Amino acid sequence: MKKSHIATLLIFLVCIPATLIFGSRLSGRWYYATSTLVVMELLIPFFMAFEGRKPQARELVILAVLCALAVAARVAIPIPGLKAIFGVIMIAGIAFGPESGFLVGAVSALASNFFYSQGPYTPWQMMAYGAGGMLAGFLFYGRRLPRKPLVMGVFGFLGVLFFVGPLLDTCTVFLAPITINFKNVMAIYLAGFPVNFSQAVGTFLVLSLLGKPMLEKLERIKIKYGMLRGMEKSA
Amino acid sequence: MTHDALSNRHPAVSFLFFMLAIGFGVVIQHPAYLLAGAVCAGSYYLLLNGRSGWRMICGLVPVFVLLSAINPLFNTYGATVLFCLFGRPFTLEALLYGMVISGMLVEMLLWFGCYSAVMTSDKFTSLFGNLIPALSLLLVMVLRMIPGFIRKAGQISGARKCIGKSASEESGVKERIADGMSVLSALMDWALEGSITTSDSMRARGYGSAPRTSFQIYHMTGQDWVLIACMATLATAVILGGEKTAAFSPEIRIAPLSFGFATYCILLLIPSALHIKEAIQWHISRSAI
Repeated sequence: MKKSHIATLLIFLVCIPATLIFGSRLSGRWYYATSTLVVMELLIPFFMAFEGRKPQARELVILAVLCALAVAARVAIPIPGLKAIFGVIMIAGIAFGPESGFLVGAVSALASNFFYSQGPYTPWQMMAYGAGGMLAGFLFYGRRLPRKPLVMGVFGFLGVLFFVGPLLDTCTVFLAPITINFKNVMAIYLAGFPVNFSQAVGTFLVLSLLGKPMLEKLERIKIKYGMLRGMEKSA
Repeated sequence: MTHDALSNRHPAVSFLFFMLAIGFGVVIQHPAYLLAGAVCAGSYYLLLNGRSGWRMICGLVPVFVLLSAINPLFNTYGATVLFCLFGRPFTLEALLYGMVISGMLVEMLLWFGCYSAVMTSDKFTSLFGNLIPALSLLLVMVLRMIPGFIRKAGQISGARKCIGKSASEESGVKERIADGMSVLSALMDWALEGSITTSDSMRARGYGSAPRTSFQIYHMTGQDWVLIACMATLATAVILGGEKTAAFSPEIRIAPLSFGFATYCILLLIPSALHIKEAIQWHISRSAI
């Protein structure tokens, strides 16, 4: 067994249950501290797998370009409310697979918060953005779903509206100044719906308009510089 | 920013302090502890940011008031009814609980404001560079690329404007989206070509051929170890130092203060105290000239 596999097993079988058991004994807003710790522990296996793979220079730089592009897209498309970050992360997942999609998502969330502000939401954003990229990788990488503009656009829309958005809202639930009960939690998810909806529309636009040309560009780079072969060897 | 004492210490010291301050801040729900946390975080924030820090603190006051009022509107538990609003009782217990949670949020925002000023990205990567070499290299590259990409995006849209292709202020949403997409697409082309050059030159310089060594700009000094030992002792004292519980439902029950509270205040005042001590020393040595 590889070192990262053992660590993953340890985290899932020991660390997370221990955090949950110990965390629930704390007083006060124990659920925020506990859930954030669990989210951080969930990030570790992904990062360890990446470290264990000893990524080549080309893979490293391509991933860095995609992360930076996801963050800088906010400036490139100067339309308020249209966030291209989810779209670029999902394209990364579609082109390079679930693991890379997760990495691009998590790192771009962390990096963009260095420019704005880190906050109690940082681990949650890393998790949610990463999960969005991973989902795109699972569904599209290896041609499971056709990479047609409309299919990718609809996936982006649904993925943000029902997966990434609610994950981010879960952080709001734990941070919001209310008593946690079913009614209040539902109210927060409903309040998050319009925001998620507008971001889902943005992601639909990015994926349906830019998805295909961007994937072609990545494909071209792969062929022109023999990157695919290099990356398969390293994987 | 370089005139702050905690910022000049080893990043591990600053990181440990913020982990402790934020961790205790999230977990302890006792009003006195929250007030102490908010005051300490606010004063350190002001020391770091000077006069412009007041803007953030003044902005947080309406946030606090607004958020405190939300909980009693949603929840009606508690025995002490203050008044009735839209036929629903507005209770003291729910109001106090709302104040506690919004106070916690305000405290978090202030601590994270300080964290962003002290733990800059270079310190973060130098602290974790040995633990996660590939990831921190990735993060450093991303942080370097973002400003370059933003600059390049401006150049691209400027060039497009020159040939009459750019969307202007009056053009509709559809044109502006199409324009933004073109800029993003051109930016990606440029960035991908550049990435190949970067990675080739990395390989030519031997990246991946041997374990990396890293240049360490920060070294642990005796003072750093003393500070870490102090923080660890104080944190243990806070954990062991008496009950910190506070309940608001069904009735208000707040544990009395014990010596844990004093140690908590001392712990949180460390960065401000260091800052003021250094400012005084600077003042004395300057007036001696």
